[in-house]
Amino acid sequence: MIASRGLVLTLYVLAAVIAVALPFGVGPLGVNLMLRAGSIVLLGISWNLAANAGLISLGHSTFWGLGSYAALLMADRLGWSFAASIVPAAALGAAVAVALAVITGRLRGIYFAIATLALSEGLRAMAVMLPDVTGGGAGIFISQELRPDARTVAIVTGLGAVGACVIAHLLSRTPFHYACRAMRNNEHSAQMLGINPLRIRVTVLALSGAIASFAGAVNIWYGGFLDPDIGFDLHITILAQIGPILGGINTLAGPIIGGLATLAISELSRSWLGAQGYSLLVYGAILIVAILYMPDGIAGALRRLRPAPPARSIGS
Amino acid sequence: MSLILQCLLDSVLLGGLYSLMAVGLSLGFGITRIINFAYGEFIMLGAYGAFFCSTLMGIDPLLSLPLVAAGVALIAAIIFQLCLGRALRAAPINQILLLFGVGLVLQNVAAILWTGDARSVTTSYSLSGEQVGDITISDGRVVAFLLAVLLIAILLMWLHRTELGRATRAVAQNRQAAVLMGINVTFIYLLSFALNAALGAATGAISSFLLTITPFMGFHMLVKSFAIVVLGGLGSIAGTLAGAFVLAFAETVVAYYVPEGIGWAEGVAFVVLLLVLIVRPQGILGQSEGVA
Repeated sequence: MIASRGLVLTLYVLAAVIAVALPFGVGPLGVNLMLRAGSIVLLGISWNLAANAGLISLGHSTFWGLGSYAALLMADRLGWSFAASIVPAAALGAAVAVALAVITGRLRGIYFAIATLALSEGLRAMAVMLPDVTGGGAGIFISQELRPDARTVAIVTGLGAVGACVIAHLLSRTPFHYACRAMRNNEHSAQMLGINPLRIRVTVLALSGAIASFAGAVNIWYGGFLDPDIGFDLHITILAQIGPILGGINTLAGPIIGGLATLAISELSRSWLGAQGYSLLVYGAILIVAILYMPDGIAGALRRLRPAPPARSIGS
Repeated sequence: MSLILQCLLDSVLLGGLYSLMAVGLSLGFGITRIINFAYGEFIMLGAYGAFFCSTLMGIDPLLSLPLVAAGVALIAAIIFQLCLGRALRAAPINQILLLFGVGLVLQNVAAILWTGDARSVTTSYSLSGEQVGDITISDGRVVAFLLAVLLIAILLMWLHRTELGRATRAVAQNRQAAVLMGINVTFIYLLSFALNAALGAATGAISSFLLTITPFMGFHMLVKSFAIVVLGGLGSIAGTLAGAFVLAFAETVVAYYVPEGIGWAEGVAFVVLLLVLIVRPQGILGQSEGVA
């Protein structure tokens, strides 16, 4: 499965070149599609990083929404540009993720998942109830004169997605990755092996939160309008988890393959069924089918097609 | 003084409905050890069932309730046969995501079939009220409370007095021992999943004349049920009842005493949920064994 280092490097460089060049070659629809592809990959990688350490998030819209609101408020209140707002927005996502990691220090599995869900819904309720800050339920526009060209936003999203792939790839070769895997399998045993669960949690969630907030921040510059239901949308939470599940949870390529496949399926279903309202229905169906029939995702199904190397278990 | 009394009365009445709602989720989890993430959608289906019985056939929600509950239980049984039954041995997180997917499908099928418009059922008792001194008693809420208490009583009777109910409790206590006693565990799982859907649907039918009905109402009900069940301790019916009244009280107090409280009351469940998870994950009456 492990390709040579040169090939992988070439792939990343190629992806980066495509990310920069593609927006100039396609129309506004193509730019839109590329933005969504980049976002779904970013969200998937972010979710998968946390899932790798056994932290299943059911509230990834938390980070996306925080990133969006942070970027928007920095633009509207402080007059910060697109370029200036992205890093602080990602940093805010990381900071909130660290806080989440610390306060949920004792929670595992289902309990952690429910906590993340409550956090995102709680933030949504807060955004509705604090109209002086967030514009409340009526929503708020990002400062029009600061908005960059859609093409620029698409390039940043694309490069961000490639960057996230590189980060996930580099991480997968470090001892940190194995520590995460040990935590996923059994946190107590991992602790016995000298792994500090809290440190892993904090690091992994900070990274995951930063990536998702980055995606949210970049997207608000494209969309231009934000309200609590858009920022902390359940849709985002689902987008984040569906790619890794369909592609192959806890694999490197899973979130990328699965995310792009999800996007393709939802685009195809839209052109067949011709309505916007079906996308969540399709996502639900993908979730059900993927979990029942492909528990290891596309990556797992592909792996099963080729003869397994003897006496070497992969995954888990 | 009358404000305090009004507040207490309202929280007790609301607590009754919350009890019924959360007992359904708690029962399902206690037996199958699967958290039903599609639970809110069963509430939604129940509400729509009652709505259509009322508008199309003129049947009062109180009368259509058994029918609606049975119908939704049947849907749940089909869902169990088609997908959940195959995932009984899967990792808990897969089961959650599976039910999450089922919920999404139900939600969006409802949105496609019945549009996203907000609806509600109007009955003779839903808007009327009695005035006792300074206190207003909403007839609809009293009806809801009494009905919820009645249904919970029937459920407890069933669990403690009948053969099948005892078998169900046996499975909840010890799956292996239950198998050795000749209990068909898969059937009990199917039954309890259908039962938890029926309780959700009953909650939905009752709330159809109290709340607005939309295809997406389920998610909020689900989070509230979570807050209650986690507050009381997963798998403990007594804890769930206590949790329901605590949440109802907290929401009512916030609605009455905090400026713009009605809006903030919606957020109480999340705060309660987060606080409990952080401070005491096993809940008020839950046992820490079986957690994680």
